[in-house]
Amino acid sequence: MNGLLMALLILVAVSALGVVFAPQTIYSALSLVVTVGLLAVIFLVLNAQFLFAVQLIVYAGAVMVLFVFIIALLDPASEERARLTDPRLVLGVLAIAGICAAVFIAARNGVTYDTSCTHQAVSCMHGYRVGSGGGAADPYHTFGFPAAQVNAAGNVQTVANQLFHTYVLPFEITSLLLLVAAIGAVYLTRRTSTATGRGGAARPARPAPDDLPRESAEAPRETGERPLVTGGR
Amino acid sequence: MIASWYGYFIGPDLWWAVLIKAALIALILATAFAYLTLAERKVSARIQLRYGPNRVGPFGLLQPLADGIKLFFKENTAPGGRDRLLYLVAPALAGTAAILAFAAIPVAGVNCLGGPAVGQTGLSCPSGYALHWDIAHINVGLLYILAITSIGVYSLFLGGWSANSKYSLLGGLRSSAQVISYEMAVAFALIGPVILAGSLNLEHVVTTQQHLWYLFLQPLAFVLYFVAALAETNRAPFDLPEAETELVAGYHTEYSSMRFGMFFMGEYINMVTVAAIATTLFLGGWLSPFPTSWFIFGYIPGALWFVLKVVVLLFVMMWVRWTLPRLRYDRLMSLGWKVLLPLGLLNIMVTGTIVALRAA
Repeated sequence: MNGLLMALLILVAVSALGVVFAPQTIYSALSLVVTVGLLAVIFLVLNAQFLFAVQLIVYAGAVMVLFVFIIALLDPASEERARLTDPRLVLGVLAIAGICAAVFIAARNGVTYDTSCTHQAVSCMHGYRVGSGGGAADPYHTFGFPAAQVNAAGNVQTVANQLFHTYVLPFEITSLLLLVAAIGAVYLTRRTSTATGRGGAARPARPAPDDLPRESAEAPRETGERPLVTGGR
Repeated sequence: MIASWYGYFIGPDLWWAVLIKAALIALILATAFAYLTLAERKVSARIQLRYGPNRVGPFGLLQPLADGIKLFFKENTAPGGRDRLLYLVAPALAGTAAILAFAAIPVAGVNCLGGPAVGQTGLSCPSGYALHWDIAHINVGLLYILAITSIGVYSLFLGGWSANSKYSLLGGLRSSAQVISYEMAVAFALIGPVILAGSLNLEHVVTTQQHLWYLFLQPLAFVLYFVAALAETNRAPFDLPEAETELVAGYHTEYSSMRFGMFFMGEYINMVTVAAIATTLFLGGWLSPFPTSWFIFGYIPGALWFVLKVVVLLFVMMWVRWTLPRLRYDRLMSLGWKVLLPLGLLNIMVTGTIVALRAA
């Protein structure tokens, strides 16, 4: 188990480095697909089957397809490669190191996510609790969720319970935000009507499809825009 | 040690049993692919009042073998400006993704070897070895299948892009847009039966259909799924990615010999997978359509019913392909986004409301 997880982590690191150092942009994107897939396998090894499937569907199957799509179409071969002396690069590396250190320290000291945590308790802060469980002595602690309970239901029920009972309001608000973003994106990309002069109030008058088949080339661009946003959800 | 880690992938099962099942399924699917090409030619021939292949072997039954030999020994021509690695990987990915998806589909009910089955549907087997007839017995089987099929898009798109040809690229673009769009419709259509079954475990979904198939409880979802799934397999009337009249052959224009065969294989095995999912979720999977107390129906193995239902669905798919003309691209997109998707949402709402009211 430990060996397998170790091997997976090494593979993730290699493919993640591939994202940065790949000679062509398309290989960078494909490396990212591999990284996302390997992360999904890590979820599977940790017995989170639901997250495994969702990770593959959402990230590998929807988000990254569009990345690859756009990269293959735009062919950004002429893009300037970053120099090692670029101050932004130094800042970026420092930021990454800082985030990694913070996550590592948090994990080793057992910062857990506990739903039974009430806000009155001193050690509690919005459900995050420092202390018991996790840490170096118990690295595979499952925090607020007992392993047996989570796995008996195949995690779907557990995740659903958290999303639709405990955190239903934040969840719905988030989905509303995404919807607003989706509608906004559609509005921004659609053409404004010049005939009426009422920017986007009406669709450009279009002849009947049977009369003018060439017109059809426009339609997929409009409808094809939608998976960009909804697919990411 | 070994017992502990593979358990995370395939559930608590004997590793050699899983290996045998995997090899068996791969073999059966490869054979199914070969004979599906023959079946397609025969069905299309009958629909067009022709005979179809009838020279190689009796009734042309050895035709797939001849085709296979031809594909393997053909010269492998490749375009000059191709991306060598991706050009090689794409067809392999097509076949792999198609076969992988089959891992979670239960072909028959659980057999308890050396112990009695517990529960009215025989789902658990406390004493003795529970022989599951799917390879990876995972709880989120349906989501797993959706995940794997969503990976299959890469083969089409990369195949089209890496060949460095305009027809291939256009075909690849169309196919990815189409598959991504219809994936939503497929997922929404499948939620209906999942709500009724209360589980994503496909074995469980089948056993809850003992009294009534979900085809009758979810007719709208079945139609939505079937239409969207046809589009996902890129078959006529949704075969825009390889529309001969516009794109020569679409994403596999620049492929030849067995590499072309791999794309072909991916498409046909995807057909089998789609039919198998429809069988599992709507047609009662391995369950007999007649009461098992009648005549000999108690003795017919479940796997046979499963195969029979899959074959019927495959025939319908071929029938559709050789009967209906191809859709125009914008119509395809508006069908997916403006018809199938809203109807799928409506179906989920109605089903969810009824289930919630009945539970209350």
